[in-house]
Amino acid sequence: MTTRTREPLIFERSVPGKTGMDLPRLDVPPARDTRPAHLKRSGFDALPSVTEVDVIRHFTRLSKWNYGVDDGLYPLGSCTMKHNPRINEKVAALAGFADTHPLTPAAHVQGNLALLYTLQEWLKEITGLPAVTLQPSAGAAGELTGVMLIRCYHMSKGARRRVILLPDSAHGTNPATAAMAGYDVIVVASQADGTVSFEDVTDASGKVQKGLDTLLSELKEDVAGLMITNPNTLGIFEYRIKDICEALHKVGGLVYMDGANMNALVGVARPGDFGVDVMHLNLHKTFSTPHGGGGPGSGPVACTAALEPFLPRPVVVRETAQEGEGQVARHRYRLDWDRPLSMGKVHTFFGNYGIVVRAMTYCFSHGGDGLKAATLRAIVNANYIRKELAGVYHMEYQTPTLHEVILDDSGLAQYDVHTLDVAKGLIDRGFHPPTIYFPAIVHGALMIEPTESEGKAEMDEFIAAMKDIALEAASNPEALHQAPVLVGMRRLDETTAARKPVLRWTRPQ
Amino acid sequence: MRYLPTAPSEDRALLDAIGVDRAEDLLQGIPSHLRLARELDLPGQLSEQEVLRQMAGLAAMNTAFSSRFLGAGAYDHFVPAAVDQMISRQEWFTAYTPYQPEISQGTLQHLFEYQTLTCDLTGLEVGNASLYDGGTSCVEAALMAVRLQKKRKTILISAGLHPHYQEVLCTNITPHEGLKLVVVKLKDGVTDLEDLALKLDGDVAAVLVGYPNFLGCVEDLKAIADAAHAAGALVVSVTQEALAFAWLEAPGKLGADLACGEAMSFGNNLNFGGPYLGFLTVKDSQKREIPGRVVGQTRDLDGQVGYVLTLTAREQHIRRDKATSNICSNQGLVTLRANIYLQLAGPEGLKGLASQNAAKAQYLQARLLELPDFSAPFSAPFFNEFVTRYQGDVQLLQEECAKAGILAGLDLTPYAAELDHCILWCATELNTREQIEQLVEVLARVPSQVQ
Repeated sequence: MTTRTREPLIFERSVPGKTGMDLPRLDVPPARDTRPAHLKRSGFDALPSVTEVDVIRHFTRLSKWNYGVDDGLYPLGSCTMKHNPRINEKVAALAGFADTHPLTPAAHVQGNLALLYTLQEWLKEITGLPAVTLQPSAGAAGELTGVMLIRCYHMSKGARRRVILLPDSAHGTNPATAAMAGYDVIVVASQADGTVSFEDVTDASGKVQKGLDTLLSELKEDVAGLMITNPNTLGIFEYRIKDICEALHKVGGLVYMDGANMNALVGVARPGDFGVDVMHLNLHKTFSTPHGGGGPGSGPVACTAALEPFLPRPVVVRETAQEGEGQVARHRYRLDWDRPLSMGKVHTFFGNYGIVVRAMTYCFSHGGDGLKAATLRAIVNANYIRKELAGVYHMEYQTPTLHEVILDDSGLAQYDVHTLDVAKGLIDRGFHPPTIYFPAIVHGALMIEPTESEGKAEMDEFIAAMKDIALEAASNPEALHQAPVLVGMRRLDETTAARKPVLRWTRPQ
Repeated sequence: MRYLPTAPSEDRALLDAIGVDRAEDLLQGIPSHLRLARELDLPGQLSEQEVLRQMAGLAAMNTAFSSRFLGAGAYDHFVPAAVDQMISRQEWFTAYTPYQPEISQGTLQHLFEYQTLTCDLTGLEVGNASLYDGGTSCVEAALMAVRLQKKRKTILISAGLHPHYQEVLCTNITPHEGLKLVVVKLKDGVTDLEDLALKLDGDVAAVLVGYPNFLGCVEDLKAIADAAHAAGALVVSVTQEALAFAWLEAPGKLGADLACGEAMSFGNNLNFGGPYLGFLTVKDSQKREIPGRVVGQTRDLDGQVGYVLTLTAREQHIRRDKATSNICSNQGLVTLRANIYLQLAGPEGLKGLASQNAAKAQYLQARLLELPDFSAPFSAPFFNEFVTRYQGDVQLLQEECAKAGILAGLDLTPYAAELDHCILWCATELNTREQIEQLVEVLARVPSQVQ
């Protein structure tokens, strides 16, 4: 296979008169033009006139410029790039699911409602929390739903509460979400092992960051809740999570757990057992629904019984009827809109149902035993890479990690080689780079998450590539500064892109 | 387990290299009292054929309708085979967000084209790489309008906006204590300009109006924009059926400052409501306040044209709690479906499709109004949806249709008191004349209840 160096924008291929879609013969009288003159569509400036051949070739060529999970190890930390089973795609495309209208009367979508109900039951067992909504469209939407649940809870008690606490290792969506839910954000310090600190922490520059105890005693009833990722963004389990939850509960605050890393806990530990009040799950991470080049995702939220009344509506309800002696119980499902305390809706309909179908398929395939086996294997894989690269790359935190490992570039600085260079060097060696420069509390972070999908041979090739880059940093740093050179596109000028934005094609004058 | 690379010898080799006896030994970071002391109480793993049987069983529990006349924010359009075939390439559906542009040019160039097309459809200058759906696009547009307007804190929403969009808006605006949502009444199915004028005070940041609205009626967007602009407010045009852009003038050309809504109509199945495609376009001068991902054109070190995610200083991973939104993904694969669909259709195909949709809906309306129990409550022009008032029992009508394999229009009774006994019908290019005649035949048989 060879890849062309450039595929023109489709607009440059347009030839008026061509089309890629033939319309059916119109079998009713043509439309009368009822539009007022000024509301009649004038024309299009960009929409191209091309054939199906042009379109198929265009997107086939473009696709070859992408790296996918099937190309090889894709170790993006926190993103959980596991294999996407093909059966999940086939099932989601079944006409019985794909052709169902969201406003169909409940009696005619019993299969869909049963599926929603069943996945909710699985997620309850997995999280140890008694209520679940599948409505949020993505992780960030799940976070927002969760924080709005916290808000509804406090408001129902007549308390405004102004502050959401979060650790400095938090993903950027956490503070942005808290702000969108109307809260002020205050950061809690991390201690030397990378977990949330109860005590104040003095950093190298002498600046004191407040720990959880100080913040809770100062803010008291102003604290609505704490958002915490567990395992945290360093892959480290917050071993004092139960104490953290108790400390929050003591001042009447609630704990939101960001479940981005739940794939390290499924079958092994349950947030509901830690004292967590509400959390989200990323179906596109833990449950392997495809990332699709950036989405669509799905971000179900699980919560305690105290928060359940505030969940988005409608809620799927199951009613069981025993039809006569000795008969098998029959389930009927309906959508309950009559939820007086509900926060309302967070999606136009019921969330990304097509994604939910894929996640349900994934769950049935794995079963409870397979889900746990996947968790353990993901942890083994991450620790294998950690072990093999320890000593080759610097590691800021020596604390045991679960499903991912954070290396950094501090050992390479002497050669003027940095994390970005390591990432680009990996591209030339046939791998997608890890997540870079995140979490921000590790300078020059390389966040590696192999997932359970990788066998030893694949990982050994990746490890060899990482070792090769470390050697090249010392012997020929310039080669890494120039990388990538083998993929048809070199490093791109992002500064000019942001300063003089060109955000769409316009017809040349 | 077919997806897990387990094998006794390899497992041993990995554990030996790490220096532990069992995988469970790596859980030492989790205090033992926080670990689950039992196995998950869930069924065991299944083979592919067992899973397929189970899932197909669920799918079969849904009624398979042979024709559908229901829209209301989710539209049944033909999906060309090229769409499904193309998105099945692993390079598209398994890839992540294009954070490494050198190996993501496929996704990035596609998104640049997608942004170009949403601008073209809406007549505005800058589009983002998509939002979750129609409802959440309204939230992002409203919050953006408030940021642009600084001191103005009221958001007017036309009562003709999709009721679910209204609820999503209300849910998400409520936590912003300074902000106020005020509903503008309808008159004859469209926004009441007198009520609008009354409510357009100096605190109004923006007016959100459905174009066409939930009842299928085409609003005079220009008249609304003129009134809003005179009062210093921005106009957000909300379109729940994006195919209407090939029938109705682009909102940007009628004075809309922002255009948002739902574009699932381009190449997507109904999917029981998602994943769908929220879109948002704005004026060039407002681009630094737009939420969500944006792709821009640039050059690489060799001077070759390429694409990157840009204007990231707006986004959550840089600005954290000061970001324009918390959104961290887009509807990636759904935007690809839309882009492929729009390129296949082209300007003539899209206009032809829109014209067929209008023709089918007009024919359906004419045939329904020939029946004694149906009347038209509104006179405004419509695209592919319209309301009829029905003398009989709407639920009985729906059930009789279902028995004949027909999914009838939406019962509007629960939505507003004045919509009692009203049904919202939709017809698209998928509805043949034969289907329409069959529907009319069934409706003629439904016993009407004397009021």
